[in-house]
Amino acid sequence: MRRIPAEARIDCVWILLSGLTVVAWGLAKVHGEHRLTPSGPETVAVLAIASVKSRLIIRQYMEVRTAPTCLRRATDAWLVVVMVTIAVMYAYA
Amino acid sequence: MTGATAALPARVSARDDQRSPKLDLWICWWVFPAFYTLFGLIFVVLTRVMPPPRPGVGVDQINSFFHAHGTTIKLGFALLMVFIGLASVTNGLVAFQMKRMSVKPIFTYAYIATLAVGAVPGALFAAFAFLAAVFRPDRDPHLVALLYDVGLLTFVGSLGCFTTNYLVLALAIALDKNKVFPMWMAYITFWQIATELLAAPVFVFQKGAFAWNGAISFYEGTVIFVVFLGCLIVLLRRAIQQQPMDELVQD
Amino acid sequence: MVSILETTPTEQPRWHLPGDINIWVFVLADLFSFAFYFVVFMVYRIEHGSVFLDSQRHLNLTTGALNTLVLLASSRFVALAVQTARTGDYRRATRLVSLGGLCGILFTLIKSYEWFREIADGFTLPRNEFFMFYFSITGVHLFHVLIGLLVLALILRELREPSLRRASMVEAGAIYWHMVDLVWIVIFALLYLAR
Repeated sequence: MRRIPAEARIDCVWILLSGLTVVAWGLAKVHGEHRLTPSGPETVAVLAIASVKSRLIIRQYMEVRTAPTCLRRATDAWLVVVMVTIAVMYAYA
Repeated sequence: MTGATAALPARVSARDDQRSPKLDLWICWWVFPAFYTLFGLIFVVLTRVMPPPRPGVGVDQINSFFHAHGTTIKLGFALLMVFIGLASVTNGLVAFQMKRMSVKPIFTYAYIATLAVGAVPGALFAAFAFLAAVFRPDRDPHLVALLYDVGLLTFVGSLGCFTTNYLVLALAIALDKNKVFPMWMAYITFWQIATELLAAPVFVFQKGAFAWNGAISFYEGTVIFVVFLGCLIVLLRRAIQQQPMDELVQD
Repeated sequence: MVSILETTPTEQPRWHLPGDINIWVFVLADLFSFAFYFVVFMVYRIEHGSVFLDSQRHLNLTTGALNTLVLLASSRFVALAVQTARTGDYRRATRLVSLGGLCGILFTLIKSYEWFREIADGFTLPRNEFFMFYFSITGVHLFHVLIGLLVLALILRELREPSLRRASMVEAGAIYWHMVDLVWIVIFALLYLAR
């Protein structure tokens, strides 16, 4: 049980978000210039990272964390629907 | 408020109170759903402009389209000519509510002007182009194809005037201290603008999501417009109900 | 993920609606629009897989990542600004919003440069299906960024005038800005990275 002042929390989230961005970028870079073939694992990883980042922004920055239940559900639903749909369509491709 | 109009006529007798007090406003309000239902009937069922036939087709297919729907096109657009004037009533009602807002009536003037000009490419151009196309069965097929392009490009691509129109409405609502419309309507109106912008590529593409029949340029744009229109009609009703009887409206 | 069980003086009590209902109507509507664009993009990707893969290679991953970092930084500044505005430190809040705005301008410049390079290399909007989506989606997003800059300017004005300074207005503007950031994160993943 820790109490984190709001500003430190914002900074932590920012570092996390930036770190994840670099990781995702690195993942794509590592597979080199020959990105001519589709890659299931890479896509899933990238979408998963984007999902985590998105939820962090929604919950922490947009303060949905402390918002009424219907808003929390609505934003979660948006994220789930969008990401799952994209992932499923990639699998279908 | 700058310069109120001449005072509205005072109530002459108690009997006047018992008649429907805002009859003039309600008549205008009913024109809204009536006109747009008719609009839908004309453009969807009769003339087949909504959803539009494909841009990426050859001259022969274009001609067979007009051949197949010639009669209903003539009927539909002839009807439009008679009823298009009703759009001015709907615009007038919105403009009147805008005059009740605390902002200067510049917004009202701009709203009316942009819609008046927008009606030409937004509906009439397509109507006349299609009517001309089906007028003479023996017309040169390439000319018919040209009229097809002119009609549909104007119908789907004519966003310039409407963008300003929505912007003016959104601004007026946002700045209004009298709260004639709720703030979220300003945002929804503005949201309309963002989606309308994506109709710009129709001049470039003959197929795909950004063609004049595309998933994004046409279908999404139309759905969002219908949502916007629904909100507008409901909010107008609320605004009329809440409007005080003896309110003085600025000139 | 850290969790907080007690509120600190700068935290809001539970079940506080940030901003107001109006901005959330807009944000949810706009998120719906973007979701639609993403799904349509995927439909076309399924149909034209090889064209999409081939074209995606020509996007500059580093520029995209850089832009993402810039926008994340701007969101941090704006989020901090909301917190400092709540504590009443309006001068600091003003500084933070300005920094957020500067990041937004930087994003615009980087994006413009990126587009310029791509167009110069011959990859334009009508080139193929992929670039049609790329320019349209990033274009609509850029439009949102520009409006966001306007919103931040309005917040600045709000913060500077002691007679204004409505908390909900500052929060609402911040929520819009975070939405712009959020959408970009998905765009970056979908257009640049995922294959």
